[in-house]
Amino acid sequence: MESLIQELKTKIIAGFNLEGVTPADINPDEPIFGTGLELDSIDALELVAILESDYGIVITERAVADKAFASLSALAEFVAANRT
Amino acid sequence: MSRRAPVITGTGIICAAGCGVAAVWESIRANRSSLGPLTLFSSPRYASHLVGQVHEDVDKLAGNIRGSRSDKLSWIAAQEALAAAGLEAGFGKINPERVGVILGATVGGMLGTEKFLAALLRENKHRFGALRFHECAGAADLCAKQIGALGPVATLSTACSAGAMAILAAAELIEQGEADLMLAGAGDSLSRLTLNGFGSLLLLDPNGCRPFDARRTGISLGEGAAILVIEAEETAVARGAKILARLAGWGASCDAFHATAPQADGRGALAAMQRALERGQLQPSEIDFVSAHGTATPDNDAMETRALKKLFGGAVPPVSSVKRFFGHTLAASGAIKAVLAVQSLREQAVPGTPGFEVADEKLGLEPVKEFRAQPVAHILSNSFGFGGNNVALVFGRADFKSEISNLKSEIHSPVPVRKGFSILGIGAVSAAGNSPAEIATAFSGGVATSAFAVPAISPTAQAKVYAAGEFGAEQFIEPAKLRKLSRLQQLALVAARKSFSPELAKTVAPEKICVAIGTGLGSLNDTAAFVENLILKDERAPRPSLFTSSVHNSLASQIAIELNFSGLNSTPIQRDISFETALWQGATELASGRAELALVGAADELNQYHLAAGMRWGWWHESSPEIRPFAGALKNRERPLPGEGGAVVTLGRAENVASPLAFISAIRIGRSENQNAEAEARWILETLARDGIAVSELDLLLTGANGLAQPDDFYRAIVKSLSKLAGKKIACGAYKHACGEHHSASAFGFLTAVGLLRGEIAPEFCTMDKTALPGACRKVVLFTFSPTGTKGMCCVRA
Repeated sequence: MESLIQELKTKIIAGFNLEGVTPADINPDEPIFGTGLELDSIDALELVAILESDYGIVITERAVADKAFASLSALAEFVAANRT
Repeated sequence: MSRRAPVITGTGIICAAGCGVAAVWESIRANRSSLGPLTLFSSPRYASHLVGQVHEDVDKLAGNIRGSRSDKLSWIAAQEALAAAGLEAGFGKINPERVGVILGATVGGMLGTEKFLAALLRENKHRFGALRFHECAGAADLCAKQIGALGPVATLSTACSAGAMAILAAAELIEQGEADLMLAGAGDSLSRLTLNGFGSLLLLDPNGCRPFDARRTGISLGEGAAILVIEAEETAVARGAKILARLAGWGASCDAFHATAPQADGRGALAAMQRALERGQLQPSEIDFVSAHGTATPDNDAMETRALKKLFGGAVPPVSSVKRFFGHTLAASGAIKAVLAVQSLREQAVPGTPGFEVADEKLGLEPVKEFRAQPVAHILSNSFGFGGNNVALVFGRADFKSEISNLKSEIHSPVPVRKGFSILGIGAVSAAGNSPAEIATAFSGGVATSAFAVPAISPTAQAKVYAAGEFGAEQFIEPAKLRKLSRLQQLALVAARKSFSPELAKTVAPEKICVAIGTGLGSLNDTAAFVENLILKDERAPRPSLFTSSVHNSLASQIAIELNFSGLNSTPIQRDISFETALWQGATELASGRAELALVGAADELNQYHLAAGMRWGWWHESSPEIRPFAGALKNRERPLPGEGGAVVTLGRAENVASPLAFISAIRIGRSENQNAEAEARWILETLARDGIAVSELDLLLTGANGLAQPDDFYRAIVKSLSKLAGKKIACGAYKHACGEHHSASAFGFLTAVGLLRGEIAPEFCTMDKTALPGACRKVVLFTFSPTGTKGMCCVRA
């Protein structure tokens, strides 16, 4: 799970072009969106697209995304359980 | 005193529920949804979704006309509306110069563009013909041509409120006295872009939308068009037309909050509704029914309910959403709702809300479930678009005149519409530079062209262009925001920031600042990237950020979001007069006093597919000559080299300004059937005269001359005619040699005019004969004539 968290951190930093942010700056237990990373709801939807293209996970409802993005740890668990 | 109140004398509609008002009303009466499977094109991702597709033979119904599916839908609805208004045989005694067309659009010819990209990316085939009807302006141009309208013709693209915005603009034109009769409405076809776009935002409900229902999860997309004939009451009465309903009030606002999500507390929606009521001199208690935007997204319905409760307190009138009948038809939505509101007023009955079953306790609002008879004198109809572009319209029963309203309308004096406004700031991004000083230098030293890669033609193909280059976006936009904006959005935002002094915002309330930024083609690169991704990945993982920046009105709304301006917000999309249309919208808000400040401008960007088509058609190549207006240097099929850029000007009401850069008046848009120089000279003279400017005061006519014989000779002849009328030599000028040929070039022309008046740009770099003016440059008319006949002008003076 720890390596998946690291992998997701890297994807978020690269996917959102977060210059100057290192994986260590992201707290795995904080909400991914609406915090210090300055990521907003469109970024959350971009992450939905990343999950689909990289892990084959198709999310069609916002409620599912909201739950999965509660924190990076929650996201890692969601990815581990649903990846294809 | 003449009564210029706008009334509705004809309506037409086509959507999934049928073709014609009668057919659609029948489905409403039966409370029957017409959503069904998508067969218009194949969509691997959304094959099982319910959509509101039009199943009639659109090509056949549109008759012998060429255009995109959106254009044809619009024309079908227009024909019905004209027939209903008794105008199928022409306009009779109505002067065609008093007839105009304003339509909303968001999709335009995307279906064709998608076919072009699919053929290119999947089969490496060049089907450039499929791009021919891409532009959103196609429907308005087509309708204007078909009916011979010679008044104002324009297209507005404010996403899902565009149809309502077009009706609002038509009402303004009629009230101002610019037109006696307008066709107004909108048409949009289904497309892969919008289906996948809304899908990528998780805003689709695959099983059909459920407005205001506790289990609602999103919209159902639909397609269609609706057009209304809107006339000045006095002229409608004079020709004996039957008045179907009144357009009693209209109001617009901007949330200035988010690209796609509404402001949760509904303050933007509330402001639009309040403005519509104020405009109609109506109390909330006089509204008998609300036709909600009611898209069935969790956010919209919650926001709209909050706004309604704030407006009406504990007495919210009956509310319906018609979205489940035929889907969310995007730009057409507000126009379709307008036609249905007219029908409700005539039939004294209101639609139900199919799809609604379980009340949402959190909302505390239950919409009308089924069609029912109900007395209705006034209907409020809401339309909310991406970017927080809100429009509310109030429709009134034809024979309804409350005593209070009558009394008020007598003391309500008409607004003096055409006053001069002050130019408080200008900002630009262009091939010639990004500051007045840079641009002045470029005019004297010539502007460098550059090479633009066009891999769609071949890996090594390059087009010679006037590119805007680097424009220092990072100096004006925070990094976190910058990365989310398309290049075109950045370009417009930088121009806006340069034109607007933050000092101005200290004395003017945000709701008193309006933004109108035109574009001919919108964010082409992000739109292409979104669709390329769909095609190459079979609709897997569509990219939401590319979709949001493909939305045309993100140009104006992101400026409002960034600078917190909540007045009217609009994105005209009318080929070469997109800037002039924006200017007209901004001036209208200033003249009425609804706005104290207006940011108006236009922006367009270069795109490889757009360039590829021109290269393929032999319009230009690597050794094409630079633009030399009036030189007649282009041969055969050659066209002037393409460019890109944007310019924004901040305008203020004339009376409250200390030291403006210059003044502007005589703002007007119109259309011509053919190129008659003498007629254009008279149009310019007349436009100047009504603002108290004598044509003999004019020093220079600044034109869109581009080195092609066709427009250049025409512009030259217009100046000759004007000089004759003025009894003195008026100079003829041009600016495209500094910015390249693009739809927003006249915004750059405006900046050139200001530079000329202020002595920053020497006239000899712009004049046809390359000579200075005999005296100081005091008054310049910027005149633009687009290839489809739409035209615009303004007079800039020192």
